[in-house]
Amino acid sequence: MIGVRKFKRAEATAYGFLTVTLVFCLLPFLWVVLASVDPNASLFLSLPKGITADHFIKIFAANNGGRWFFNSLVTVGATTAVVVIIGGMGGYALSRTNAWWKRPFLYAIILVRVLPPTALIVPLYKVMLIANGLMGALVRSVVPPDSTRSAMQIFGFVDGYLGLILVLSAMQLPLALWIIKTYFDLTPKDYEEAALMDGANGFQRMHRILVPLALPGLGAAGLLTFIGAWGDFLMPLTFISSAELQLLPIGLFRAFQRANTMDYGYLSALAVLYMLPAVVAFGLARRFLIQTFTGGIKG
Amino acid sequence: MSMPYETRVAWQNRMLLVPALVLLVGFILIPAGAAIYISFTNDALSGFAAAHPQFVGLKNYVRLFSDDGFWNSLVVTFFFVFGSSIVGQFVLGLASALALSRPIAFKPVFNAAILLPNAAPEVVAGFIWISMLAGGRYSTVSRIVGLFGIPPQNWLQSVPLLMIIVVNTWRGIAFAMILMTSGLSAVPAEVYEAACMDGATPRQVFWRITLPLLRPTILLYMLVSTAGTIAIFGLIYTLTRGGPGGATEIIGIYIYNQSFTAYQLGYGSAVAVIMLGVSVAIGAIYVRILKVQV
Repeated sequence: MIGVRKFKRAEATAYGFLTVTLVFCLLPFLWVVLASVDPNASLFLSLPKGITADHFIKIFAANNGGRWFFNSLVTVGATTAVVVIIGGMGGYALSRTNAWWKRPFLYAIILVRVLPPTALIVPLYKVMLIANGLMGALVRSVVPPDSTRSAMQIFGFVDGYLGLILVLSAMQLPLALWIIKTYFDLTPKDYEEAALMDGANGFQRMHRILVPLALPGLGAAGLLTFIGAWGDFLMPLTFISSAELQLLPIGLFRAFQRANTMDYGYLSALAVLYMLPAVVAFGLARRFLIQTFTGGIKG
Repeated sequence: MSMPYETRVAWQNRMLLVPALVLLVGFILIPAGAAIYISFTNDALSGFAAAHPQFVGLKNYVRLFSDDGFWNSLVVTFFFVFGSSIVGQFVLGLASALALSRPIAFKPVFNAAILLPNAAPEVVAGFIWISMLAGGRYSTVSRIVGLFGIPPQNWLQSVPLLMIIVVNTWRGIAFAMILMTSGLSAVPAEVYEAACMDGATPRQVFWRITLPLLRPTILLYMLVSTAGTIAIFGLIYTLTRGGPGGATEIIGIYIYNQSFTAYQLGYGSAVAVIMLGVSVAIGAIYVRILKVQV
């Protein structure tokens, strides 16, 4: 009898604790979700008197929000593609090689992962300035003068997308390499060797055997890259200054710094829109999350 | 063309790694090396020193020792890491993992709720907590603590460090919970059964069995989470930008403010080198102690 009562009490404690934690975790989101559909949204949590979709319509109809969203999709999408391709090649090589540099390379990846981007940002800025100068000279020599500016918006390293995409890729690459390498470790070599015996060339082996086999690993790396780059704040803050190139996180941040023109309904709708892709990707990536945190421990 | 198969494969592996190596060296390793170099100069973002940086030896490092802002940022970083990742996230994450390891109804709901703050981008997290913590009696936190008779206030002004600790705890419970859940699932059920047979109380089971068996997981958590928490930028920058008066200026924010607000790249880099050293030390301990399998 005592055992049962004790069990009941432990059960009640668990439910009580989890309920309080649930409220703590969800309460902050309540405001942003309600405010995004409230015609009279304010800074404070309140029950909307009516429901409107105007704020969301405004994002795409009249304001910069739609452009920021599109800019973020393009750069983060490109970053994800770059990381999956380069990480896929590198992860495969790291898994299959037995060369002396395998171990040092893998340890270096772990060490690189702990380097804080804030500590690298100043020298990174200098590296980007130099790269931007070289790219500028190259662009001016091939592109007519009246379109150099728009070319540099795409290929530039400072206030241009190519630089931002490469930096975001470099930041996400160590984790992707690790995940993909681990995935290839679990994939038997037999299929490749059989294909080789049957006379398949390198491209065929990759296209028909390796990519299909590694798809879950590549997918996990892609999802986690997307989440990391989509949420990144420091890189677009430092490297993008033109209004028309601005990404969603910085646009949102700058908009709510301008206190006098504050439209909380609009900003909340923008925040909800920004959050959605991240939450969806997070949901899909749930079972891989343990790897992002440990990144090296067999779990 | 007549290379033996093994040699060809070895070259192929090297070639496949080249693009990854170029990105990592160009955008991470060279900047890390350059940080060390710049920290020995008086480089600046604008003005005379920007065009003609001079080698100044250890001057920046000497200046560190007498700079209150630097020591302040170390203290703030310590409290921030200790309060949010070592205490807040760890205690709540472990408790959540233990509670969810029981047969509980609505488990996916609790799980999803705890994960959501981690899924929200930093700017969104900052944005919604500004509403929670705003001044006046209408903000959510003021209304809740008002029930206990605590007067409303502008929380990010009156207790800024405590507030960023609370916000970061909120954001990272999921991280600790996921790791602790995987640690708990590795403990065999027979151990608990045997303890029950011997009449151990739940408290004894927790302190004598669960916690000691979780030790490797906890150590792993502490290392990864400390390194991650030191690196936080967007969350604090959107909430307070390091203010008021440096009260929330963790070392990463201090570097950013020194370099891009005060334009002192050389000095900012000296702080960055210290931060890099600490992070590499944490990474090295991680690799050594946990004997990472490669």
